[in-house]
Amino acid sequence: MYRNKETLQKLESFLLEVEKPARYIGGEPGSICKDKENVDIRFAFAFPDTYEIGMSHLGMKILYALKNSVPNYWCERCFLPLPDMREKMRENGMELYGLESLDPVKEFDFLGFTIQYEMCYTNILEMLDLAGIPVLASERTGLTPIVMGGGPCVCNAEPLADFFDLFAIGEGEELNLEIMRLMEQCKREKTTKAEFLRRAAQIEGVYVPSLYDVSYNADGTIASITPKNGAPQKVKKRFIRDLDKSFYPDNFVVPFVDIVHNRAVEEVMRGCIRGCRFCQAGFIYRPLREKSRETVVEQTIAICKNTGYDEVSLSSLSTSDFTDIEGLLCDLNKWTKENRVNLSLPSLRIDRFSEQILTEISSVKKSGLTFAPEAGTQRLRDVINKNITEEDVINGVKTAFEGGYCAIKLYFMFGLPTETDEDIVGIYDLAKAIVEQFYQNPNRPKGKAPSVSISLSMFIPKPFTPFEFEPQISGDEMNRRVKLLLDARKDRKISISYSDSKLALLEAVFARGDRRVGKALLTAWKSGCVMDGWNDHFSFEKWKLAFEECGLSMEFYANRRRSYDEISPWSMLDMLVSKEFLIKENERAHNFEPTPNCREKCSGCGVKDCPVHKAG
Amino acid sequence: MATVNTRVFFSKTDRAKFISHLDLYGVFQRAVRRSGLNVWYTEGLSPRLYLQFMLPLSLGQEGLHEAVDFRLLEDIPHNETAKRLSEALPFDIRVIEVAEPKMKNTDIAFAEYEITGNFDYDKFGNFCERTSIITEKKTKKGVSQIDLKPYIYALDVKDKIMLRLPAGNDFNINPALLIGAFEREYGKIFGTRIVRTRILDRTENDFR
Repeated sequence: MYRNKETLQKLESFLLEVEKPARYIGGEPGSICKDKENVDIRFAFAFPDTYEIGMSHLGMKILYALKNSVPNYWCERCFLPLPDMREKMRENGMELYGLESLDPVKEFDFLGFTIQYEMCYTNILEMLDLAGIPVLASERTGLTPIVMGGGPCVCNAEPLADFFDLFAIGEGEELNLEIMRLMEQCKREKTTKAEFLRRAAQIEGVYVPSLYDVSYNADGTIASITPKNGAPQKVKKRFIRDLDKSFYPDNFVVPFVDIVHNRAVEEVMRGCIRGCRFCQAGFIYRPLREKSRETVVEQTIAICKNTGYDEVSLSSLSTSDFTDIEGLLCDLNKWTKENRVNLSLPSLRIDRFSEQILTEISSVKKSGLTFAPEAGTQRLRDVINKNITEEDVINGVKTAFEGGYCAIKLYFMFGLPTETDEDIVGIYDLAKAIVEQFYQNPNRPKGKAPSVSISLSMFIPKPFTPFEFEPQISGDEMNRRVKLLLDARKDRKISISYSDSKLALLEAVFARGDRRVGKALLTAWKSGCVMDGWNDHFSFEKWKLAFEECGLSMEFYANRRRSYDEISPWSMLDMLVSKEFLIKENERAHNFEPTPNCREKCSGCGVKDCPVHKAG
Repeated sequence: MATVNTRVFFSKTDRAKFISHLDLYGVFQRAVRRSGLNVWYTEGLSPRLYLQFMLPLSLGQEGLHEAVDFRLLEDIPHNETAKRLSEALPFDIRVIEVAEPKMKNTDIAFAEYEITGNFDYDKFGNFCERTSIITEKKTKKGVSQIDLKPYIYALDVKDKIMLRLPAGNDFNINPALLIGAFEREYGKIFGTRIVRTRILDRTENDFR
């Protein structure tokens, strides 16, 4: 089995001095090693966060196995090493390496980042730098390595435009292989990088930022976006039509160390029927597609057997919306019970939470249950199109309490469009009603108190949602609203935690930023910003300075209402959902009008060939 | 059916030395599950796959003859168990032998280590000849002073260090303590490799 001896030797010399060294050595069961001689294309799948987070990510597992299923392609993994490891690597003159071969990733053909959230942008620059690869795309002149990006954040890739050669828009299964095949061809023909990118831009779903010129108005908004060298006016996202026929791995890399989600995962659906107006995933992953019950059962069994995991999670944006979820759980339970595998459902909607689901998923340990009402009053839930009523919430927790649960966690957002002080206090009132519900259960466990924890996160307006036009409220206003809720809280059985308003501001800036924001990103990283998503690493002061130095205003990007006819930085992308639909939904939000879910009634979002629409 | 007590002797070398003892349970548990062996789970509120490691091995140290116990719910030949488990384990953890347990983990009294590195072996030999080697040992109760000298039961220093120290769940001396004491006086040793070669009982027989 091939391993880079030089890397291995260096690692041996210092690895015991870093924390959890097993994260950095590779060789985990399920990891794939190939004979370098028979490999034509090498791809480093990079996750710009820690091993524990990256290894929990389903997209990586799918694309890793898919690429490696092609005999002459070899896909390896790399993550952001923690500060102690980065220091040791630099001290020892080591560059970022792939965990399979231990070869430096700069020798690979592709370094492909999955970009899951905005606060990992500095991590991307840090990883490129650690790899010995120039961070600016313009300074990388050779054909390889091509630095590409995918994942939800690339539906506004503009803040990253200076650093990436291309972005893969939409689902990656077909697209990644097409891009790799093009590289195979370009390597054979010994073309230039420019020629590779020119051809890549012809592939549906490939966005090459350097092939688009952006000009600005005097007020800072975008005047025009102009493609060149034959790049398309609009880059259309890719999606898989039939999940039953699509590639799904029958094995995962099983880590040595404990990771965030250390379990098997079976993806049961893509897309979501709900259309919650703040939720980017609910729009960019349309249309809804389901696997058949048979496929889910077959894949679940295979993945559990091959990984040895004793827990499997049925993953999707809203698993309780799976058609006949009860039937599926029943099918699965026959096998999982016999084989001592626990089933878990990560995303339960409170209005779809039935006694039967509870019985099917309940393991012996009755830990907490989590629900996301998102807003405290009916009016505001209508604004965000959450489509659940207070009665749904109360019935849901009643079922949970009767099922023996004592701890309920509730997710809420604050700073939502049209939010008033009444909505904020409404969050506490709802939590209070849940506590009272506990005491109305005659069979409640004696001597036990319920615990309701409220987790508040700041609303962040995202592209391709009906709220993409909305301003984020200011930091001071956020803090005032949090204090309002904290002051309203009298009952100690209710606990409140909330997110950092400064981090939320930055996230909002990057979510809807344009290309110019990339300069601030580079400046901030150069001044030492990295791992911004981690409280102990985040320095807002450095970020503020970076934006000032670049002459950019965070408020311009985060706190400004955008008109419907403004050209948005991401308008070269077509995520299939039409702008007209987003505008219509934005108007309905301001009229407190909910929109029925896709199964109840098609709202004409613009997605063609929608299987839900056809079925209806 | 009755459970069959089974002891697996394995080596944990090379990259596997970076797997902590805490993580080793999970690594073995999933390997046993992948192997398809029919094994016993603990009873009670949250049943778990029963695995008992006979003697923990420190992170970074290698072991040539480590032992772990589980209980089979099927009567299959030991070599079949060995084969199936071997296939399921990570590359640097190898099954050496599967056998019926002959001793209890409380019988463990000593372990032998082979230590190499960028040592001045003569200096190390002389260091160990001293009448006392006082160093600090971290225990559950805190840090205490300990004299290592009386616990060096056997020592042979030539082009490598062969060392026998007390071992067991009640009282255990980690060879890293001795190396650390030496390093404090003579500076850091690079490329230290500690390999536990044998586990012994009170009568100095191999732990079986």
